[in-house]
Amino acid sequence: MKVISEKKERQAVLKPSSARRWQHIKDNLITYAMFAPNLIMFLAFSLYPVLWTLKYVFYRYSGFGATQPVFVGLSNLIRVFQDQVFWKAVRNTFVYAGGKVLIVLPISFLLAVILNKQRRVNGTLQSLVFTPTIMSSAVMGLVFYLLFNVYNGQINKILTGTGLVSQNINWLGKENAMKTLILVAVWGAIGNYMVYFIAGLQQISKEALESACLDGANPLQTMWHITLPMMGPVLKTILMLAITAAFSDMNSVMVLTEGGPVNSTMTMALYGYSFFFSVSESSTITPQYGYGAAVSFVSACIAGIVTVVYLKLAARLDDIY
Amino acid sequence: MKEKTRSAKASSLKLDIASYVFVGIIVVFTVYPIIYTLIGAFKSNAELTLGSSFFPKEWHPENFYTAFIRANFLQYFVNSVLISVAVMILAVITTSLAGYVFSRREFVGKKLWSTLYTGLMFIALGSVTLYPTYTMLAKLGINKILLGLILTLLGAQLSNVMLVRGFINGIPRELDEAALLDGCNPFQIYWKIILPLIRPIIAVVALFSFRTAWNDYITTLVFSISMPTLRTLTVAVVQLRYSANAAAEWHIMLAGAAISIVPILIVYAFCHKQFIGGLTAGAVKG
Repeated sequence: MKVISEKKERQAVLKPSSARRWQHIKDNLITYAMFAPNLIMFLAFSLYPVLWTLKYVFYRYSGFGATQPVFVGLSNLIRVFQDQVFWKAVRNTFVYAGGKVLIVLPISFLLAVILNKQRRVNGTLQSLVFTPTIMSSAVMGLVFYLLFNVYNGQINKILTGTGLVSQNINWLGKENAMKTLILVAVWGAIGNYMVYFIAGLQQISKEALESACLDGANPLQTMWHITLPMMGPVLKTILMLAITAAFSDMNSVMVLTEGGPVNSTMTMALYGYSFFFSVSESSTITPQYGYGAAVSFVSACIAGIVTVVYLKLAARLDDIY
Repeated sequence: MKEKTRSAKASSLKLDIASYVFVGIIVVFTVYPIIYTLIGAFKSNAELTLGSSFFPKEWHPENFYTAFIRANFLQYFVNSVLISVAVMILAVITTSLAGYVFSRREFVGKKLWSTLYTGLMFIALGSVTLYPTYTMLAKLGINKILLGLILTLLGAQLSNVMLVRGFINGIPRELDEAALLDGCNPFQIYWKIILPLIRPIIAVVALFSFRTAWNDYITTLVFSISMPTLRTLTVAVVQLRYSANAAAEWHIMLAGAAISIVPILIVYAFCHKQFIGGLTAGAVKG
């Protein structure tokens, strides 16, 4: 690709006079000088880490200074495929992502439909619902950790106080930890997707809605026959964003449960991380950079496959229409 | 006929009420944890763990003092401000330049960089990439100072570059062609023509990069493991959970959490329109 564009440039440069050629070189230099700050950041902080990870997928390596990296071929990848904890993490990630997306999107869509109307109070309500989006998911993870505490947490006190439940619920125990994580994820995401949906709704032509109204359609009919079908393309994009975001969530898992109890909330992202850095202050690790790179590589591939499959399915749905 | 419109009105009123009851429940759900943090920060530890009333029986503003002094939050607060402001300024400079270059300039290698930029946006290796980044900065000797952390948090801002590029694509080219005829070089066009026109999207980049840096947990945590003085508020607050007597310090945790979320809430109070508008500027185009 680079060769082609260089050839084109050369042809373009050869024809004009030397003054034009000098001008061309000068423009290129200025352009690169302007591009350089971001390009350097890109090479150092985006491209280099990815290439590093791809390389160490094939090495055994436990940290700089300790031992020299040893080339081990595909054995890291083979180990990933035999790793029970990894597949548990994959399952957990799908449960988490699926649960989050299935709960968030309908709620956000309803909110968007209701709050899209031009009323002053709707703007305020939108801002309130959007607030969690601007907060640190790690700090709020700590707050939720206190709220969901078995004995002293406010949630259990409210539930037992009002008589809704007779016994304290162990929110972060093995049975419930994943549900609690999904609940916290829903809390953080509703406002985000509501705003996406509102943006989508505002693209729907006002005429279509008005003519439906004039034809005597009630609000529910309008929503079912006009709004939803017209939101199709936008919905496709939103669903895609929701899936990819859910696969990479990590902060709240790390703060709330550290992947526990007994890996019941271990996700792909956190599992890869755990071979590089300790997941909590109290745990110590023996780093396995090569294996960690392999885990992350396979995780990224799984996320990629999910995206591609989803896009294929969405395209097929389009054909049916 | 009249009967029918009346019943239609009544049913639409019912729908309206049901709608707003639903919205009300969601608003309580979203706002409650935040209010709990802000009010709980004034409670004593005993009341937080044993009591169940919403408002504190006694107000304890000294919780904030304890957090600031004993947990050393003053330094972390300064770190947070320095890091977030630096990341914000650098993000605005680098993304506006790169966005302009991608949108308007033809240069050797443009196709290659453009492909790599969009390609890498879709590779989700996650925080694992922190390790090579950190060791690279260690070799350069800047892993234990704020600069290294700032550069890592800044990164390439791939999605913001694309956001700015998209925005500049929407500006008519006649404007910079006229400036070109007047003898402006590419940088002067950027500085005099483009920059004043892209202020709205610059505000979005500034807010989003500030928020991301202020709220970051994992990157800052990794840097501060070997250099605790690099901690930001966010990391320091979460680390309270792991302190020796965490069970006895709910009030300090909540005071810390309140200290770390109030600044971003204030920013939000003034700029909520830009936050909400900015989210959709690049994301949803159908």
